[in-house]
Amino acid sequence: MHITTHRPLSRRAFLRGAGILISLPLLEAMTPAFAGVVRATPPASAPKPRRFLGVCNNLGLLPDQFFPKEAGRDYTLSPYLEVLQAHRDQFTVFSGVWHPDVDGGHPADNCFLTAAPHPGSAGFRNTISLDQYIAERMGPLTRFPSLTLGVNVLQGQRSLSWTGSGALIPCEEKAADVFALMFLQGTKSETDAQVRKLELGQSILDAVAGQARDLERKVGARDRDRLDQYFTSVRELEKRMQMSKEWENRPKPKVTAPMPLDPASPKAYMDKVKLMYDMARLAFETDSTRSISLLLDSVNSPAIEFGTVKTTDGYHNLSHHGKSKEKLAQLQAIDEWHMKLLSDLFAQLKAVREDGETLLDRTMILYGSNLGNANTHVTTNLPAIFAGGGFRHGQHLAFNTEHNYPLPNLFVSILQRFGLETERFASATGTMRGLEAT
Amino acid sequence: MKTLPTFAFILMAAISVPASPLPPGCRQFLEAHCTECHDGDLKKGGLDLTAFPYDLAQPANFAEWVLVHDRISRGEMPPKKKPRPDAKEAAAFLSSLSASLISAEQQRIDLAGRSMQRRLNRYEYENALRDLLHAPWLQVRDALPEDGEAFRFNKVGEALDMSHVQMARYLSVADYALRQAMAPYAEQPAVKVHRYYTRDQGSYTGPMKFDVFNTAPERATFPVLGLEGQPEVRAGRAPLTSTNPAVRELEGVGVVASAYEPIEPKFNQFRAPVPGHYKLRFNAYSVWVGPGKGAEWYVPDLDNISRGHRDEPITITADTPPGRLRTLGHFDATPEPAVHELDVWLLAGELIRPDAGRLFRSRPGRGRWHNPLAETNGQPGVVFRWMEVEGPLYDQWPPAGHTLMFGDLPMTNRVLIAVSTGDAKPRRRRQFQPAPGVEVLSKEPMVDAERLLGGFLKQAYRHPTTPADVRRFLPVVRAALAQGDSFTEAMLAAYTAVLCSPEFVYLEEQPGPLDDYALASRLSFFLWNSPPDAELRQCANGHQLHRPEVLRAQTERLLNDPKSTRFITAFLDYWLDLRKMLDTAPDAELYSDYYLDDLLTESALEEPRDFFAELVRDDLPARNIVASDFTYVNERLAAHYGLPPVQGVALRRVKLPPDSPRGGLLTDAAVLKVTANGTTTSPVLRGVWVMERILGQPAPAKPASVPAIEPDTRGAVTIRQQLEKHRSQESCAACHAKMDPAGFALENFDVMGGWRDRYRAEGPGGPPEPGIAKSGQKFSFHYALPVDASGVLPDGRRFQDIRELKRLLLANEEQLARNLVRQLSIYATGAPVRFADRGQIESILARARPSQYGVRSLICELVQSPLFTKK
Repeated sequence: MHITTHRPLSRRAFLRGAGILISLPLLEAMTPAFAGVVRATPPASAPKPRRFLGVCNNLGLLPDQFFPKEAGRDYTLSPYLEVLQAHRDQFTVFSGVWHPDVDGGHPADNCFLTAAPHPGSAGFRNTISLDQYIAERMGPLTRFPSLTLGVNVLQGQRSLSWTGSGALIPCEEKAADVFALMFLQGTKSETDAQVRKLELGQSILDAVAGQARDLERKVGARDRDRLDQYFTSVRELEKRMQMSKEWENRPKPKVTAPMPLDPASPKAYMDKVKLMYDMARLAFETDSTRSISLLLDSVNSPAIEFGTVKTTDGYHNLSHHGKSKEKLAQLQAIDEWHMKLLSDLFAQLKAVREDGETLLDRTMILYGSNLGNANTHVTTNLPAIFAGGGFRHGQHLAFNTEHNYPLPNLFVSILQRFGLETERFASATGTMRGLEAT
Repeated sequence: MKTLPTFAFILMAAISVPASPLPPGCRQFLEAHCTECHDGDLKKGGLDLTAFPYDLAQPANFAEWVLVHDRISRGEMPPKKKPRPDAKEAAAFLSSLSASLISAEQQRIDLAGRSMQRRLNRYEYENALRDLLHAPWLQVRDALPEDGEAFRFNKVGEALDMSHVQMARYLSVADYALRQAMAPYAEQPAVKVHRYYTRDQGSYTGPMKFDVFNTAPERATFPVLGLEGQPEVRAGRAPLTSTNPAVRELEGVGVVASAYEPIEPKFNQFRAPVPGHYKLRFNAYSVWVGPGKGAEWYVPDLDNISRGHRDEPITITADTPPGRLRTLGHFDATPEPAVHELDVWLLAGELIRPDAGRLFRSRPGRGRWHNPLAETNGQPGVVFRWMEVEGPLYDQWPPAGHTLMFGDLPMTNRVLIAVSTGDAKPRRRRQFQPAPGVEVLSKEPMVDAERLLGGFLKQAYRHPTTPADVRRFLPVVRAALAQGDSFTEAMLAAYTAVLCSPEFVYLEEQPGPLDDYALASRLSFFLWNSPPDAELRQCANGHQLHRPEVLRAQTERLLNDPKSTRFITAFLDYWLDLRKMLDTAPDAELYSDYYLDDLLTESALEEPRDFFAELVRDDLPARNIVASDFTYVNERLAAHYGLPPVQGVALRRVKLPPDSPRGGLLTDAAVLKVTANGTTTSPVLRGVWVMERILGQPAPAKPASVPAIEPDTRGAVTIRQQLEKHRSQESCAACHAKMDPAGFALENFDVMGGWRDRYRAEGPGGPPEPGIAKSGQKFSFHYALPVDASGVLPDGRRFQDIRELKRLLLANEEQLARNLVRQLSIYATGAPVRFADRGQIESILARARPSQYGVRSLICELVQSPLFTKK
């Protein structure tokens, strides 16, 4: 019996024996987290829906073009941030931040949303990623607890999303698949199988709850408190299973947007990025999920084509520019296009309104990289932009570039914005200094 | 008051004890000696004893009176400047107060016990699943949320909470574990012995070719035949492997780097097909790789191979892509090709990654990397020829875990069904596909279910079961079958329920003397960190265990069993914080000589475990915690400590030279690492740590208003100088005089526990120290101000350095033993040592005194004590 509140993100290509999943890593990968509560019209007292999108471009951005020179609210936009000029008051840019002790060059992208130290060391095991932490707690509110997306990820076998057991959740790399998942009705047999699993889960919980009740009679007041806590946990999980079941029978939302057409070639990297941004926006717009991760696997990308640009060299190769002028110019064109796509996403999210607020006001977007400078593979001084979500933005939070400030503190701020009472996430030491919610 | 953990209050909050008047004679004493300052006007330290109630039912009030007792008892109050109370008078006061305190607390203990009901922590849960399902390979600890800790341990009910996330994880962990323990196939698979030649592994041969990302020979692999390089093969002009089987046996692939991005060769053709027991054999040897031409002598010439100059330590790691690594074992690759065998438990899908850990790990930086091990005539390398896998090995069939779940019911193989994808063509997945497993067949499902569940519950629960227990879980089977699930799935659902049920997850204890079952559980979760085995259960069944001689014999048996390493590891993980070993890394610049040195970190972690295991095994005196004339090292650690060199990767006991600052746990690299932050050390933090963990004298809580000292690595000022200003203020001095001294003595040890006479610094202030780091980059630090490791203990005794401090601490070996017993008793009973428990701690010490407080004696006496045998 697998934990049945997890809703499979994609049951398609997985092999199953007699309808039951086989092993935990695989199984957890398929079923990232809880799903639940049917979203009718929320009562006025219900907390505002909060959303999160985490994007990692694993080749980063040219630091001298990205980081602003001045700190604070009156900073001058850097060349890259100029592209985001229209949204200046909707984002904060950071400098002097890092994930403490996350080293090892390229494999550090595994830890972009987990901040688990030393991805290269022999005892390494990843920890839960921010999007999954959110999904475990907010998942019941939407049809999908989370979406794990990627661009140019080889066979979907990497992503930013890791379960609480340190297992990777493979990503969806095709926008069309994500679209189908969100908006096309699943088959009856798939739905039935899921409902059956949930019902089995409920009967398990009935059995253990019954035992807890019986035991409570045997123990003193102090020990009863512990069993009460057990009992409450079971009931809460049960409620979530019930909610998940209800999702199974509800029709999926209808959208006017057409089914996207995925480019076949990895050269169309930027088109793919745009499509994934579209999917993220649609997911948030229809409240299909509250938590999305997106890995832009630039490391694994060939020479790419966008607008009128055709790079002469593979993206990864360009990043080892060795200060070559030609390579730097091409990288700059790439980076600026990244900023343009991000700007378009911000604009679209601003254009959607929900209960009198823009969707961007309720969507926290972290865009950044595991590399501070791809040319030298350093994992300090990470480039990072944080947009939307109802914070007082419009500033450059500049920290010490010699002794970096922990970026996981931003994760704690994000979680608290979700209304989750936590002071800790990975190596965080508190909330992000200088970042205030509106 | 501030020193008392918050949990103490919660502990006592629920139980009400009527308020009582101040014991006879106490009021007069307080008025004579205390209320001059502690009155309504002066209220020194916020305490007004004229108005302070004596209401022991209130936990905060109780704690305050304990503090009054202790400060007077230690002679700290009245303060030195004030007249001393007459000794007899003070003794009378203390005895009267303490009797009253004890009686109040004892009432609470009689009512509810010292400890609160608790669930298993994740170490225990993992071990419980491993033992019950006979599946030692299970790795589920990290799949459960991190446990809360109280009084420094993960064994205390108050901190071991439940939540829906925890519950959901239990469900998935239990389900996973049960499936892992089932027979993977209907028939026992034949034991295969298969050789995986490195020449056939793409992961080994791929990096022979240079590409646009990598043109560095240090990051390439290279073909070797015996002791010959193979330029033609390397250049791709000759086939990778010979058709001649005899030649093939001599072919290998070499590296000059240790496994790290981007050069991490693996035996990628092997993935453990099923979880279980395997034997791995490796044919490997060390080589010498010739120098590059002219000025580039440090760049290896991969075609110029000769006999290795020394042994190379090898770490064998299991890898679940992407990037989940688990150390399996070590051996030394000798210059003579040899076969090394490891006996291992593998998870399905794991592949094997060897790492020659001493070799360098090239990292980009200020300049091109330069192998620090390179000499003008070449550099060391390691060649692997093949890995042989034998397994999966079964000592019984079907596996014991399967039999527990399904008895001898017939089974058939499940068929892999590709679920329709909706895609025109299925996506190719390189992901490992686990065995589809088996379907167990039952003609009479409900009859079999009742029988099997009965047997399973008997093993799973740690007390006698009844038919009612079985009936509780039968509806799960019935519901599953009713909705069309197979018998196998229905049973797995019911077993999942059992493994998540309160009686499995919680330890059950009733106030008063523990019954034999609860005692058996307490004993085995103490000394094995896992549930009782058959013999212990038998003792409980026969109601024998509570008999002192039986309990003693069982204690000895458990300590002698290899499973006691679970205790050693788990206890030290929390007592000494060893679980935090990887939390921070040596700074890449300031300590670049330690940076990336996994071999050092791993070796350092083993040392205290081996050491403490010996203290337990041989009943060595507790004073060894502070100072011993031996320790455990391997080659890397011996070099780190500056001890006479030893060879090889295995840790072994060595006698320390008489003047060595090492010996004891205090000066272990692991302890010195977890008490530092990778960049700097703080005498305050280390001092507090030693006071609390080793001496059992917890420091006062840090006042919130005082900011921590900002570490400065520029070299112009030492931490001691920074602290001096602070310590000179009267309000700070009192606490710091207690907290800092031991920390000062440890200032001679850097963030990795290496000896230092001077601090390291970065930036201007001196030319960088000559030398090259493991990363291949030049050192960028220099040595700055000298270390002053002298100090004064709170009682006025002075020391110059760690050697003298150790001697001073040894003078009170009883206190070292007392602290150890206290730590052990929190770990063993899940409850703090309270005021009323102090007497029992003292009797444990008294009984262990003849052994000079032997660690094993202390453990045995603790187990015999009512602290342990009562809830």
